[in-house]
Amino acid sequence: MLIELKGVNKTYDNGQPLHVLKGIDLSIDRGEFVSIMGASGSGKSTLLNILGILDNYDTGEYWLDGRLIKDLSERQAADYRNRMIGFVFQSFNLIGFKTAVENVELPLFYQGVSRHKRHALAMEYLDRLGLTEWAKHYPNEMSGGQKQRVAIARALITHPQIILADEPTGALDSKTSVEVMDLLGQLNREEKVTLIVVTHESGVANCTDKIIHIKDGVIGEIEMNAQHNASAFGASTIMK
Amino acid sequence: MRDVFIEIWESIRRNKLRTCLTGFAVAWGIFMLIVLLGAGNGIMNMANSNMEGINVNTMEVYGSTTSKPYGGFKQGRYIELDEQDIRLTAGPAFTDHIDDVSASLTQSGFKMTYGKRYFDITLDGVYPDFASLNQMEIVAGRFINPSDIKGMRKVLVITHQQARNFLGGKENYASLIGQRVKVGNLSFKIVGIRRSAENENDSIIYTPYTTLRGIFAKSDKIDMLSFTFHGLETEEQNEAFEKEYRQVMNRRHNAAPDDERAIWIFNNFTSFMQMNKGTHILEVFLWVIGIFTLLSGIVGVSNIMLITVKERTHEFGIRKAIGAGPWSVMKLIIAESVSITAFFGYIGMVLGMIACKVLDSTVGSKPLELFGESFTVMENPSVGLDVALEATILLIVAGTIAGMIPARKAARVKPIEALRAE
Repeated sequence: MLIELKGVNKTYDNGQPLHVLKGIDLSIDRGEFVSIMGASGSGKSTLLNILGILDNYDTGEYWLDGRLIKDLSERQAADYRNRMIGFVFQSFNLIGFKTAVENVELPLFYQGVSRHKRHALAMEYLDRLGLTEWAKHYPNEMSGGQKQRVAIARALITHPQIILADEPTGALDSKTSVEVMDLLGQLNREEKVTLIVVTHESGVANCTDKIIHIKDGVIGEIEMNAQHNASAFGASTIMK
Repeated sequence: MRDVFIEIWESIRRNKLRTCLTGFAVAWGIFMLIVLLGAGNGIMNMANSNMEGINVNTMEVYGSTTSKPYGGFKQGRYIELDEQDIRLTAGPAFTDHIDDVSASLTQSGFKMTYGKRYFDITLDGVYPDFASLNQMEIVAGRFINPSDIKGMRKVLVITHQQARNFLGGKENYASLIGQRVKVGNLSFKIVGIRRSAENENDSIIYTPYTTLRGIFAKSDKIDMLSFTFHGLETEEQNEAFEKEYRQVMNRRHNAAPDDERAIWIFNNFTSFMQMNKGTHILEVFLWVIGIFTLLSGIVGVSNIMLITVKERTHEFGIRKAIGAGPWSVMKLIIAESVSITAFFGYIGMVLGMIACKVLDSTVGSKPLELFGESFTVMENPSVGLDVALEATILLIVAGTIAGMIPARKAARVKPIEALRAE
């Protein structure tokens, strides 16, 4: 298993303790295309942050590619994030004063890859996502869909073990949302990228092969969805 | 490294105005530091050049009045030095430290005649080392030499103003050397011409001590006794020696051995040491003022870096999410802080050095006229390469310190919180 969570608990303590994750057990295998679905406040974002080593958990175990992710130093956590995890965020989180290609290069910069080499590689990824002519543009000159594709290129460039997408279509219109989900699906099928998408939209979840429902901090139903006809909202539609 | 500089340049470019305003404070600080140190150096150079040519291992001894009753005498008795004191000083009691002893004698009321021109003069009988003790500038000829002393030669060193008068306003001083003048009824030879202060009433004429003593003196009293010494390296040693010397001299003149007023000792070595100490204190003082001025600039940089960190929290969150370690974030902030301080500091340093040059060409080159006396306040006010280097190191250290707190703040914030920040 690529990802294994055993009894993961997380409590936020802002004034009064808030038990967000109540013993999560979860396994995700290499090459899977999974969505984590739940209402806001269900703990899905917290789960994603823990999976992405952006946040720590209180008790339990998180194994990523055979490594126990617990009590890591900042430096180590940064290194694991850099090499094993790619992030796609709802608000894109591109650096505004850097061009598209510079944004895509950034993870390689933190790996110490030479200037020339990382530029070439970033151009290659932008090309694959059809953004060659936008390489020199700044994020505020691009559309939401383009920005999200730049972010996907940035997530892909280090060949991570998993890509974590937090509401990847949240800021996009329905047409672009479909395009982005198609792109993610294509990456999963053709490049065998392991994808975990967090969403509260059933339409988005329906694009994935497996839907993990989370409610009040516990995993509910795990729906196998190879045919992409899981929800009551009908196949391949993304509700907005 | 190049990438870091590109990042810094981008960050600074986005905040030109506030970076420049902050930088101004740093530039001003280092400007003040350089100008202060430059002016300080000017004053020290001046002081040092005043001491130039003086043999510092000398003491001068003058007679004075007693401050204690002793041996049946009341206090307030005037002590006069005489030739016995020369012998005593040169004698076996002090051979450990004292090398050469010389003395001087003053007598006035002479008339010096050259052709039809004459002056009323005061004669000073001195030893050859008098010239180096008193920073005498000889414009022609020479000063009194040991054979003059030995042979009791009737030779004179006159002032350049007297010489100019003798020459009818011309300044071909060398032509006077070897000429004979009359002092009283006796014929003296001019062997040297010294430069006297232009607007001071300085008309003393020097002649060998032995000559003055042998021909004119009515008693064996001397005005001043001086000697060179060796083996007294510290202030304590000097003090101990002075105390011992005083005891011997006081006893000879029937003054209390511990009376510190009976004779007056001027020690060139300790006063030189004190001057050195003084200039050192001055230098430290100027550094402290300069550094405190710079400090306000540094606090400004630190402040601005804190704002930068706050503004860029979200960006740092992104960077951390995609793999930036704490150190790489810290490096970014510290490098930016050092760049700002170093860049603007360097501008301030260059401007400070230009200001020193301006100071040199105004205050430094022209003597100041004050109360009818002219003196130079500064000589070559500038800072050396060593100070420039020290200031550069200071800037880099200051920049690092200024960046340290904001950088730690930036490095510490959790990526998840940083991503949430706007």
